[in-house]
Amino acid sequence: MPVPAPAVPALRAEHLSKRFARTVAVDDLSLSVSPGEVFGFLGPNGAGKSTTIRMVLGLLRPSGGHVEVFGVPAHDVGRAHRHLAYVPADVALWPALTGRECLDLLAGVGPGTDLDYRAELVERFALDPDRRSRTYSTGNRQKVALVAAFATRAPLLVLDEPTSGLDPLMEREFRRCVTEAAERGQTVFLSSHQLAEVEAVCARVGILRQGRLVEVAGLRELRRLRRSEISVTLAHPVAAGVGLAGVDGVADLQWRSPVELTMTLAGPPAPVLRALAGLDVVALDVREPSLEELFLDFYGDHLSSREELRA
Amino acid sequence: MTAGTAPAPTTSAAGRAPEPGAAGRVVTALAVRSVRRGAVLVTGVAAGMPALVAVQHRQLDQELAGASLAALAENPAIRTLFGPPVALDDPGGFTVWRTGTAIAVLVGVWAALAATRVTRGEEEAGRWDLLLAGRLRLPAVLLRHLAVLLGAAALVGAGTAAGLLLAGTATTGAVLFGALIGGTGMVGAALGALAAQLLAERRAAAGLAVGVLLAGLLTRMVADGVPALGWLHWLSPFGLLGRSAPFAADRVLPLVVLAGTVAVLVAAAATVATRRDVGSGPWRRPGAVAPGTGELRSLPALAARHTGRPVVGWGAAVVAYFLLIGLLATTMTDFLTENPRFAELAAQAGFAELGTVRGYVASLFTVLAVPVGAFVASRVAATAADEVAGRLTLLYSLPVRRVRWLATELTGVATGAVLLAGAAGLATWLGATWVGADLSAGAALAGVLNVLPIAAVCLGAAVAALAWAPAAVLPLGVLPAAGGYLLLVLADTLAWPGWVRGLSPFAHVAAVPAEPVDVPGLVGLLVVAAALTAGGLAGYRRRDLRG
Repeated sequence: MPVPAPAVPALRAEHLSKRFARTVAVDDLSLSVSPGEVFGFLGPNGAGKSTTIRMVLGLLRPSGGHVEVFGVPAHDVGRAHRHLAYVPADVALWPALTGRECLDLLAGVGPGTDLDYRAELVERFALDPDRRSRTYSTGNRQKVALVAAFATRAPLLVLDEPTSGLDPLMEREFRRCVTEAAERGQTVFLSSHQLAEVEAVCARVGILRQGRLVEVAGLRELRRLRRSEISVTLAHPVAAGVGLAGVDGVADLQWRSPVELTMTLAGPPAPVLRALAGLDVVALDVREPSLEELFLDFYGDHLSSREELRA
Repeated sequence: MTAGTAPAPTTSAAGRAPEPGAAGRVVTALAVRSVRRGAVLVTGVAAGMPALVAVQHRQLDQELAGASLAALAENPAIRTLFGPPVALDDPGGFTVWRTGTAIAVLVGVWAALAATRVTRGEEEAGRWDLLLAGRLRLPAVLLRHLAVLLGAAALVGAGTAAGLLLAGTATTGAVLFGALIGGTGMVGAALGALAAQLLAERRAAAGLAVGVLLAGLLTRMVADGVPALGWLHWLSPFGLLGRSAPFAADRVLPLVVLAGTVAVLVAAAATVATRRDVGSGPWRRPGAVAPGTGELRSLPALAARHTGRPVVGWGAAVVAYFLLIGLLATTMTDFLTENPRFAELAAQAGFAELGTVRGYVASLFTVLAVPVGAFVASRVAATAADEVAGRLTLLYSLPVRRVRWLATELTGVATGAVLLAGAAGLATWLGATWVGADLSAGAALAGVLNVLPIAAVCLGAAVAALAWAPAAVLPLGVLPAAGGYLLLVLADTLAWPGWVRGLSPFAHVAAVPAEPVDVPGLVGLLVVAAALTAGGLAGYRRRDLRG
C-alpha cells in the first residue's frame, strides 16, 4: 500500500453539494480531516450525513465541489478505496452467504486485512461467523461490517452510525477498537447522532444541519456547548440578585419560589459553586441535559448565531 | 395479547376505539396497492391481445388465409406450443388456439410471482413484523392478500372476456375463456401463496410455484402428444383450458375442476400459515453451516455463487421441456406423414421443412430464446435489487470499480445462458435419439446456439435499463425475447407489413438446423447487443447508486 505524504489530508471536501430533484441534501460543505485524527460527524436524522459519506465513497456524484481521499478524487474508487474501509449505517449482506464468507470476500477484494486481528475481533464482538447472514439480526450484520473494517490496515475508516444496532457491551468494544485504530495511526471519520459516543472517542467534531456544516470544533469547545441544569433550594429567602446572574456561564436564572431557583450552566461549575457558598444551601441538584435537549438547544434557536459566528 | 386483568381499551381511554374490521381493511388496501400496477398491466395484455387477434381474424381474406393457416395449425411445433386447433374458422376459436396458452402462462406466472412477492417477499424484508404487531394474525393477513390476488386474477379474466365480447365473438365462449384465464391466474396466485408458506425465502418460493405451473404446461403437452395419456389434461390448468374448448364444445366441467383446485390450494396455504412461525417455514434451510465450507475470496467466485443456483433451477425447467420436445419428435412428425394433405399445404405455404424432425426442433429452438432471455433479464434485475437493498454498498466501498463488478456479474450470466442453451440442445438430442428420430447432437447444438444472440440483445436491454431505468430492468430486459416472439407470431399470422415484423429479433434468426445460419442477421443482433451493453455500462458507471 502506498504511504501517503503526511501533509495530504485523509479526507478533504471543498464546496461539496448534492441536490436531489428538489431538495438540497448537502450544501457547500468544506471540510478537512488530518491523518490520524478521530473526527466526529454529528447531525440529526436527515441532516445529510449519509449523503456526504456516500459522496466520499463515490456512490453518489456531487452536484458541485469535489472530495478527495488522501489526495485521490473520490470518484476514482479503484485508487481512493485502497485507502479506506467503510461501515454503513444499515448493513445489508447477501442472505445466502455466511458471515465468514462475507468477511473472506471483503478481505479478499479489500485494501488488505490483518487476519489474526480479525480473528481476535470476531471473538471480541462475539460474532458467530458460521451462520447465513439471512439469520443475522441488525446488530450482527453491523458486527460483520465492523470486524471487516477494523481488521483492515486502511489508513481511513469511514463509519456511518456504526453502533445503532449494538448493545452497550458491544458499544464499549467498538469504542476500544476506535481507540486502538487511532493508536495505530488510522484516521477515523465517525458519523453519529449519539453525542456521548462522539464525546468518548473523537478529538474534533463537525456539526451538520440541513445539509450545511454549521460548526467544526474541538472536543473542548464541544464540552463548553453542553449546558447542565442546576436546581438550588435554600434554607430561607434571600434578597434577589445575589450576584448569580453575573457568574460566568450561567443563564436562564429563574426563581421558582423565594427559596428555590434554577439556572443553566455552560462551562466549569467552580464560579457558581463559589457564588453559592455564601448562601445557606439545603439541596443542590445538577442535571446533565439529555441528548434530546442538547439537540433541540443546538439545532433550534441558536442556529443563526452559530452561523454568524462561523462566518 | 393482554390477560383478563388489564381493562380493554374503551372509547374514553383510547380517545376513539378502532372499529372492528378496520385493521383488516387497512391490510386489504395495502395488498391492493402492492398488486394494482401489475394487475392493470396484465389485464391490458390479457384483454387486448385476444381482442386484437379476433378483430384481425375477421379482416383476413378467409379464402387466401385458410390454407396457410391450416398448414401452420397442423405444424407439429405449433401444435406442441399452442395445443390442437379447434374451430379455426370462428374468430373466437382461432383466438383461443392462437393466444390461449400464451395468455394463460403469462397470467398464471404473473399471479404466482405477485403472490410470493407480496406475501413472503414482504415477510422476508421484515415489513410484516410491523403489520403483525397489530391486531391481525398471520393467517388473516395472508388470506387478505390472497383475496386481493384472487380478485386481481378475476379482473384479468373479466378483461379477457370483455375484450373478446367487444371484438364481437360469441358470448358463451368469451365468458368461458375469460373464466378459464382468470381461473388459471387464481391457481397461480394460490400456488404462490402456498409455496410462500412452505419456504422461508421468496426466491425459492417463486421458483417452486413457477416450476409447478410450468410442469402443468409440460403435462398438457404430453397429454396432447400421447393420446393414451389424454387424461393428464385434468391435472393441469392449461390442459383444462384445452378440454373446455371455448367457442367449440364450451364445456363447463373443466372450469369447476379449476375452481376446486383453487379452493384446495387456498385451504392448504391457510393451514400451513396457522401452524408456522413468522419469518420461518416448514421447508426452511438451516441457518448454521459447517465452518470452512467453500472459499469466497474474489469477485468471480461471488458472481459464480450468485448465478449457480438460478442456472440449476432454470436448467431443470429447460431440460425437462426440451427432453419432452425430443421425445415427442416422432409423434408429431408421424402425424404429418399420416396426413399428406397438410404436409402439401405446408410446403405450398413455404414451410417445406416443417414436417421433418429438423424443422420441428428448429421451430422450438427459436422459442428457447424466451426462457434464456428471461433468465438473463432476471439476473440483471437481481443486480438492480441488490443495489436497492444496499447489498452493493459494502462491495463498492472496496477498491472495486462499478464496471468491474457489473462486467464480472454479466460474464457469469452470459456463461449461465450458454449453459442453459447447451443443456436444452443436449436434452432435445437425448429425447430424439431415445425415440429414434433423426437428429444429430451437432445439429441440436447448432440450433440452440443459433438463438443466443437474441438472449444477448436481452442482456444489452437489461444493462441499458440498469443504467437509465433501473426500476424496469426485468420488463425491458425480457421485452426483446417475449415481446419479439409475440410480435413475430402476430405479424406472421395476420400478415402485418415486413418492417413491423423486422422489429422482432426473431425475424433475423434462421430456423437452424432446418435452414442454414443467417450470418448477417446474427451479426446484426450481436452488434445491437454490444452497443446496448456498452452504453449501459457507461451509464451505470456515471449515475448515482440507489439504496
